[in-house]
Amino acid sequence: MVAFLCAAAVSAQAAAPAVAQFTLANGLKVIVIPDHRAPVVTQMIWYKVGSMDDPPGHSGLAHFFEHMMFRGTKAEPGDAFTATLARNGGDTNAFTTEDYTAFYEQIARDRLRLAMTLEADRMAHLDLSDVSVRTERDVVLEERRMRVDNSPQALAAEQVEAALYLSHPYGRPVIGWPQEVRRLGRAEAQAFYDRHYAPNNAILVIAGDVTPEAVKADAAATLGRVPARPVEPRVIYAEPTRLGETRLAIAHPDAAVPSFSRTWRVPSYVSAKPGQAEALEVLAALLGQDSTSLLYRRLVVEQKLAADAGASYDGDARDSGSFSIYASPRPGVTLAVLERAVDAVLKQCAATPPAAADLAHIKIQLVAGDVFRRDSQMAMATAYGQALAIGLSVADVQAWPRRIQAVGAATVRAAAQGLDRRNAVTLYLTPGPA
Amino acid sequence: MRKHALAFLFLLGAVLPAAAAAPRELAIGAGEQVWFQEDHTVPMVAVSIALPAGSVYDPKNKAGLAAFAAYMFNEGAGNIRSEAYQGELANRAIQLSLSPNRDHFVLTVTALSSQIKDALRLVGLALQQPRMDADAVERVRAQMLQSIAQDASDPSAVAANRFYRLYFADHPYAHPVNGDAVGIAAITAADLKAFARGHWVRGGVRIAAAGDIGAGTLTALLKAAFDPLPATAPVAPPPVVHAGAPGETIVAMPVPQPTAIFGLPGLKRDDPDFLAAYVANYIVGGGGFASRLTTEVRAKRGLTYGISTELSDFQGGGLVLGQVATRQESMAQSLAVIRDVLADYAAHGPTAQELADAKTYLTGSYPLAFSSNAGIAAQLGAFQRAGLPLAYVARRNSLIAALTLDQVRRAAARLYDPRRMTVAIGGSIAVAATGHEPPRKPAAHN
Repeated sequence: MVAFLCAAAVSAQAAAPAVAQFTLANGLKVIVIPDHRAPVVTQMIWYKVGSMDDPPGHSGLAHFFEHMMFRGTKAEPGDAFTATLARNGGDTNAFTTEDYTAFYEQIARDRLRLAMTLEADRMAHLDLSDVSVRTERDVVLEERRMRVDNSPQALAAEQVEAALYLSHPYGRPVIGWPQEVRRLGRAEAQAFYDRHYAPNNAILVIAGDVTPEAVKADAAATLGRVPARPVEPRVIYAEPTRLGETRLAIAHPDAAVPSFSRTWRVPSYVSAKPGQAEALEVLAALLGQDSTSLLYRRLVVEQKLAADAGASYDGDARDSGSFSIYASPRPGVTLAVLERAVDAVLKQCAATPPAAADLAHIKIQLVAGDVFRRDSQMAMATAYGQALAIGLSVADVQAWPRRIQAVGAATVRAAAQGLDRRNAVTLYLTPGPA
Repeated sequence: MRKHALAFLFLLGAVLPAAAAAPRELAIGAGEQVWFQEDHTVPMVAVSIALPAGSVYDPKNKAGLAAFAAYMFNEGAGNIRSEAYQGELANRAIQLSLSPNRDHFVLTVTALSSQIKDALRLVGLALQQPRMDADAVERVRAQMLQSIAQDASDPSAVAANRFYRLYFADHPYAHPVNGDAVGIAAITAADLKAFARGHWVRGGVRIAAAGDIGAGTLTALLKAAFDPLPATAPVAPPPVVHAGAPGETIVAMPVPQPTAIFGLPGLKRDDPDFLAAYVANYIVGGGGFASRLTTEVRAKRGLTYGISTELSDFQGGGLVLGQVATRQESMAQSLAVIRDVLADYAAHGPTAQELADAKTYLTGSYPLAFSSNAGIAAQLGAFQRAGLPLAYVARRNSLIAALTLDQVRRAAARLYDPRRMTVAIGGSIAVAATGHEPPRKPAAHN
């Protein structure tokens, strides 16, 4: 059964769509992922700028600026960008992370040229006014209240991130510290735009009912006309060696359910040695992907100490990645007892390589995820755009299933052994007065 | 504008009626409705199954029974205990999503085409012979109780729960889908088995599938899964007679950003004005960045990150449901702006330009829903649950294009009178220092 399944997964992977890539004269990289099932396209434009590029004292600027990109140009004033797309049956939105800022449009294939024209216009001709900056800053503060300030889990996660880095700006929240977001003004936004928004600092990804030739012609006539500008190189940070474990105990009146988590700073797909990130991916899946994983089986099903437990690896980052484990106790179980049970599972992973059958099964699931992704234009465009934005290549994305298949049991054990508590933040979140 | 609409109708013709890419009806039995769209591009299949097993069927003292049963779906079946059942799914990379709502239990199955046979076998076994073993019941009970406890400090969940209670009063739509702590504590394994027997049935089940499988194979797999189920269907939910409790209710919570859930009586899906109402709602509150409410509350005033309204077409009655979250000192102003926007809209309706723009958006964006197998199964499933015929898939855009300004204005006038609005706020509100106008209705603290 296992051998058959692996064969099925591998053959699916061999049929992966042909992805075209080229670079326009102004430095804009272009990726085309044809999918002819429906007469629609997904356009994404990825700028290689994220919250790690926020200037000191102005955390949240990259995200705030993403909002400002919807606030109008001279040619398309006010909300004309979204209104024009909507009139043409298009959806649009954007998102910002530590490493990049991505904008997207989904629209009928015969309107792709329009979507490109609109992106080209706001790449070069944004019209920032004091009024729109002030209003949008209020919107961002409301977004922060909704996503973070209202949620003890999100507030605690933000504190864990901050504690995880001694020097690197990954420790600052993408949405920004509220005290600093309130300071963001038109001048900061304009300087950020001038410094980072240029075709030679961006990647265009088109997935859908298109041909690479047609995309090339349309892109050259629209986004290709935005002049290249010198872009200052990004700051390279060196995170110093940590000498001791960090523990956070946070009490919050709204933390109705206590929780335990531990988050390690680990290598990312960009910074890892060959095979190391894939081993962390496999380890996270074995430990805590779903209710069949080790942590859930041991803590929830067998020992009945936890109501839920899981693990995850985020390796899609330009600098370091993170590996995390969480568990919430059943009523009456203390977090200290829960932590000891988690530690026993980790100790076992570091001592014994995973069984061959477990390893084979987890690889089937991970590789199947690659097939499911091909069902969605947005998921495909995101996979390639994100990879290029953080410094990986098209070949890296396409080799991923093979690299996962190649992960050996000993490498998974080595990944578990590498989870050094000096590089970790352990959190106890409990109900209680703030 | 008109030119664009025609272009989209042409495009839609290109997507849907083409021989390989049109959804068709499969006959698997008297009770089941099955729609299927075949496509072999990506080697996977998505199946959306809606069972008449929503929280509307919960007994009064056991709120949450339908959801509890739904979450037990992958906890063991036949001779296969919970861990082994989940292992069988995971080892084949079969993904199940279990989504109970007020009317239905929506079960989504996603599998590689090489695994769809085993996926539907395992789904069939769980439908026919759920185990409801004691240890699994206790595990899921603990998780549901924890989620209920967590919701109690989430202002949007608190506001929504209060809103449904106020709006639906004695109707079984009034309680949360996930029930309450008392109900969840009282539910037994026997209750769960009985609920599954009565509601996980062939009668009234709706199935939408898309992807890399032949119609013959799919028919055989679905027959094997569903034929052994009872053909009976549960009695339809009672109609909604109580239409809200106009005014504002505040559930005080010390959170930085309160959420308001607001609602108005809506239309049932078979109301002749429903599609006009759908378009009317897009213009005032459903259209993301383009809506009147987003323009007034977010873009012009910076009062919120998100404001939206939607038409909920519950089987027992329709509802316009809206949501806004804003800082404590801006809630009164936000609600005042919302009332002004709705009052003006009810009185005058959309402009001709707004209607033209709405038509080109709604018809032009329709093919986006059909760009993936998962999307197709979800869209077809939504039409099925709304009680629409298969022919609607192809007709939908021409029906929208044919709506007149008078029809949409009439729908707006029927729906958006703010005096009929029920508002529930989770979180505390404060008086703004700059002295904005107070809410029109006195607020009841509790």
